[in-house]
Formats: sequence, C-alpha cells, structure tokens
Amino acid sequence: MRKAEKVPQIVKHPFPHVIVRDFLDTATLDLVIDALAGLEYEFDESDLFSYLSFGLTDIDHPVINILRDDLGDNFWRKKVAEKFAVKSLSKIDMGAYVYGLGDFLLPHDDQVEGRIIAYSLHLTDIEITDKMGGALHVYEADKSGKSTLVKSIIPEYNSLIMFEVSNHSWHQVGEILEDIQRLTVTGWYHA
Amino acid sequence: MPDINFYYLEKATLSNLKRIFNSSDFPFVRLSKFLDIDSVDYNPKLEREEKIGYYHREKGSAVLEEFWKSSEFIKFLGRITGLNPKFRSANHLNYSPGDYSLLHMDESEPNRLSVVYDFTKSWRLEWGGYDFYTSPDKEPLICNRDFGSLMIVKLEKGDLSCTRYVSLKSKDSTRIDFITYDLD
Repeated sequence: MRKAEKVPQIVKHPFPHVIVRDFLDTATLDLVIDALAGLEYEFDESDLFSYLSFGLTDIDHPVINILRDDLGDNFWRKKVAEKFAVKSLSKIDMGAYVYGLGDFLLPHDDQVEGRIIAYSLHLTDIEITDKMGGALHVYEADKSGKSTLVKSIIPEYNSLIMFEVSNHSWHQVGEILEDIQRLTVTGWYHA
Repeated sequence: MPDINFYYLEKATLSNLKRIFNSSDFPFVRLSKFLDIDSVDYNPKLEREEKIGYYHREKGSAVLEEFWKSSEFIKFLGRITGLNPKFRSANHLNYSPGDYSLLHMDESEPNRLSVVYDFTKSWRLEWGGYDFYTSPDKEPLICNRDFGSLMIVKLEKGDLSCTRYVSLKSKDSTRIDFITYDLD
C-alpha cells in the first residue's frame, strides 16, 4: 500500500517538480521489488537511450496491480493534479527500467500528446552516490537550445519524482559509471 | 593538399568501389588509409555548440576544407558513386565525453552525399561515438571510428544520421571532418 498521503510543496524552477519520499510501505515495497526482479526485461537502445525495459501498463499481476493503484488511483491522481495545479488526470501508464553500466538517457522534454505529469519511482535498494552515475539531471534551456544544469537528483530508494511535462522540462539520466542496476518504475499521468 | 592513396585511383579499384557503393540499402563505401595523413596539419579551431535534444559538441572549419571543395576530390566522388555531387558544407566536429548528436537533427534534410573523414585516434568500441545511419525501410548502418578512413554514404530525404553519445569513460574525443554534398 501507499505510505505517502501528501504531495510536498512543488519546486517551480526550472520547471515544476517534486520528490515524494517513502512512497510505499515496507511490505508492498518488498513485494514490488520481488515482482520486478522476476520480469524478463528487453534491452532497448537508440540514439537517445540505452537500458533494459518491461512494459507494465497492461499486465495483470497481483503485485503490479497494487502498484498501479498506488501510483494511479483516484485519490492520488487528484492529489497530484491539485498540487501541480493541472486539469484532472485520467490514467497512468507505467514501465520498469533497469540502467546498468554504460546505460543512459540523453536530454529530452518528454512531450507526447496527452502526457501531463511524468513520474519515476526509484527502487534501487543500494545508496547511489554521485560517482556511480544515474542521477536525474534537470536543465534549463534558453531559446537557442543552450542548456544549464540546474540540479542533479540522485535516486533515493522508495522516492517518487514527479514533474510537469512541457517544452521546458528538459532532463536526462546520467550515464551509469559503476556496476550497479538503477531500477525505476516510470511513466506518465495523462489528461 | 594531401594526396589520395594511389590504390584508390586505379581503374579496377574505382570500378569495384562503384559496384560496392550501389550494393546495399544505404549506398556506401568506406576507404581506409584514404590520404597521406602525415602531411596534414591537424590544428582545428573549435567552438562549443549545443541545441539541447539535438546536439552537444564542438564545431569548426573542416581541417581539409580546401581538399573537400577541390575539383579533384569531387571528381573522385563522382567516379565512385556515379552521382553528380555539389559541395554544400564542410565542418570539423569534435565529440568529447558526454557529447552526442541525435537523429532528428536530419529530419528536414534532402537527398545528399555525406562524407566523413576520421581523425580519431586510439578509440575503443565501448566508448560509443560511432556514426549511425538509419531509415524506416532500410537496414541501419553503423560506422565505427577508424583513424584515417573515409566514409561516403548516399542519404535520401527521410534518411537520418547521428554520432552516438560518447561515454564519460572515454579517454579521447571523436574527431571528424563532416562534409555534405547536395545531389540532384
């Protein structure tokens, strides 16, 4: 079950984002980790990214169904929409992503029709440090496309990062530099 | 100007290269040790350029700009490809650790002949930085770094290319002269 009941204050700069710590209770967290460990991930790469992934939006799995509710039930969607001051959120999609040594996701803004809020639930059960890579880098870009790194969010176990998708929401996942597995459940809240 | 390796100027070689060029989804040839590179003064003046979501790299004038514009080289391209290329631009591009370009940079490009001359030394495959060509209906083409080689690729409207992200673990940079010729 979801442990968090509130969405903290939204940080506005460089685009609206927030971190919800201790999102799941311990029992659910353990079940989710076990369930995700049993999936058959596929390696996927392009010019933009390199990682293992598994789509979770439509699978029927008792634990994943609980997680889908915790991230996307009416109560939580309403909380998220209110805090970000966006129109009501109708549904979520979700996938599991594993970044290993050398994997990365280059800067992009996530804009696809219908996506309102992006989220990423961090489930790497070791303490990730800056030198391991894998931080979520958040950028501000000027009109010419020149970027400034505003902050690097190092993934914390059981934390949910959310941000509003717009033409300003430039972000990337830094290259993994050590032999770790950065595990997240990531997706979007849709209009 | 540097000299083209005499081997590539022999009639039989040119005939073979023309056949090879036209035998794959992406018409291409790759010519190793293409030039007498020892005669080249490698001293590019570069400026960093970035368009987030498109490219992040250093750019300057092509090291061999005059050569790429020369009638000798353009005539050579014509003999290998059977095309009538017209010089458009020549730049030197340097991709350091963390640099990249992305495919959609090419989305509005018309038919063209893309030529890449490789100045990259001491490269390792796991550092990335390779050139990548793709299209919805063609087998993708990867060109790994190889010092002194010349890559000639015919790209049609809708074909895309990029230089793959260079790992932060790389000890060097991808260094290329990147030349584009327009096609009729």
